Amino acid sequence: MIGVEHYVVVATILFVLGVLGIFINRKNVIVILMSIELMLLAVNINLVAFSAFLGDLTGQVFAMFVLTVAAAEAAIGLAILVVFFRRRRTIAVDSVSQLQG
Amino acid sequence: MVDLSQYLPILLFLGIAVVLSTAFVFLPMGVSRLTGSHKPDAEKLSEYECGFPAFEDSRGRFDVRFYLVAISFIIFDLEASFLFPWAVSLEYTGWTGWGAMMVFLAILGLGLAYEWKKGALDWE
Amino acid sequence: MIHTIAFYLFAAMVIASAMMVIFARNPVHSVMWLILSFFNAAGLMVLVGAEFIAMLLVIVYVGAVAVLFLFVVMMLDIDYAEMRAGFMRNMPLGLLIALILLAEIVLGIGAYRTGAIELGTPDGTGAAPLGASNIEAIGSLMFTRYVFLFEAAGIILLVAMIGAIVLTHLGSGPARGQQNVSRQNRRRPEEATRNVTPEIGKGIEL
Repeated sequence: MIGVEHYVVVATILFVLGVLGIFINRKNVIVILMSIELMLLAVNINLVAFSAFLGDLTGQVFAMFVLTVAAAEAAIGLAILVVFFRRRRTIAVDSVSQLQG
Repeated sequence: MVDLSQYLPILLFLGIAVVLSTAFVFLPMGVSRLTGSHKPDAEKLSEYECGFPAFEDSRGRFDVRFYLVAISFIIFDLEASFLFPWAVSLEYTGWTGWGAMMVFLAILGLGLAYEWKKGALDWE
Repeated sequence: MIHTIAFYLFAAMVIASAMMVIFARNPVHSVMWLILSFFNAAGLMVLVGAEFIAMLLVIVYVGAVAVLFLFVVMMLDIDYAEMRAGFMRNMPLGLLIALILLAEIVLGIGAYRTGAIELGTPDGTGAAPLGASNIEAIGSLMFTRYVFLFEAAGIILLVAMIGAIVLTHLGSGPARGQQNVSRQNRRRPEEATRNVTPEIGKGIEL
């Protein structure tokens, strides 16, 4: 029988993969943003699994809000990326430290 | 736990769709392989563009205006997805829910007006 | 039985495609694997009965966010091979953190299995109304108890929209050559051309 701990394990592995993706793709901001999406997906899986197994729908409502914030974050993050690429012709994160106004 | 047997039609639909699309992709390839002669060489396999080798990468750069359209699409996609539960649950939420959605729509309408005013919706 | 098979299928697919997202060489492939991973996560959510969130994942993530990522990957022409430099250098630290997180979750699950952790019991305020489907229940909770959070979500969307436009919109200046149709139609031959018969060797005044 599949219990809530199975879902927690899947979500944790996804979250860890997201963290690992940030670490090993440190230069490529696009993949870093995708890793953040993976981590938010892991959070959503946790919220929905606990909400379903506890019979409390609050988790699913919050999963919707997390989804909204994730979409807004992707939009703004990619917009910053586009502007940064326009300035520097690269998306290497190393040179972001030179951005000062 | 949810009763999965109600998803059987969707599974059948997916199966039929996969079978049909696989057939449409691979059947012409197999038939042409069986009926025609097949002797590839380097010249035949190179891409051909009006008698010249290809000038540049086919993955050309996109205009930033596509990105603005995609942003508007995401925002209004989410707005529509908030409208679904609102529409079916009005009998539980009553006028509070109705007013809340009107405020939400007004907020996003403000964004739409800003976008329009800035000319982000104009293509040319 | 079918539940267990479906769960392990979806879980294995979601993890495998998430690995492909972070290890793929080409960002376009990464986006494709991301889409597959979202699809399988939607399958997982269908399995626990959260049909609306599953639909939302497919519509919002696969339909909009993945498309946005694809646009940006194609909009910027970048030498992605150079981006891979230092790929292995951060690997040990990343693996270390991954192992620590995994060890923590193993401990947590072990404690839960032995009964040391209680999940807690819901107080019933978030329970679904009797006889309501998943989407109705979500709506009835979201537009009553969490109505202010809902408006806050609207403001977040507004800020995202305005921010993205401010950042990326270049402004439609006159440089793009706008066409004024009514002015073109108002133009008459009398004000645009004139007939002259210049004498030989004289030339004309313009």
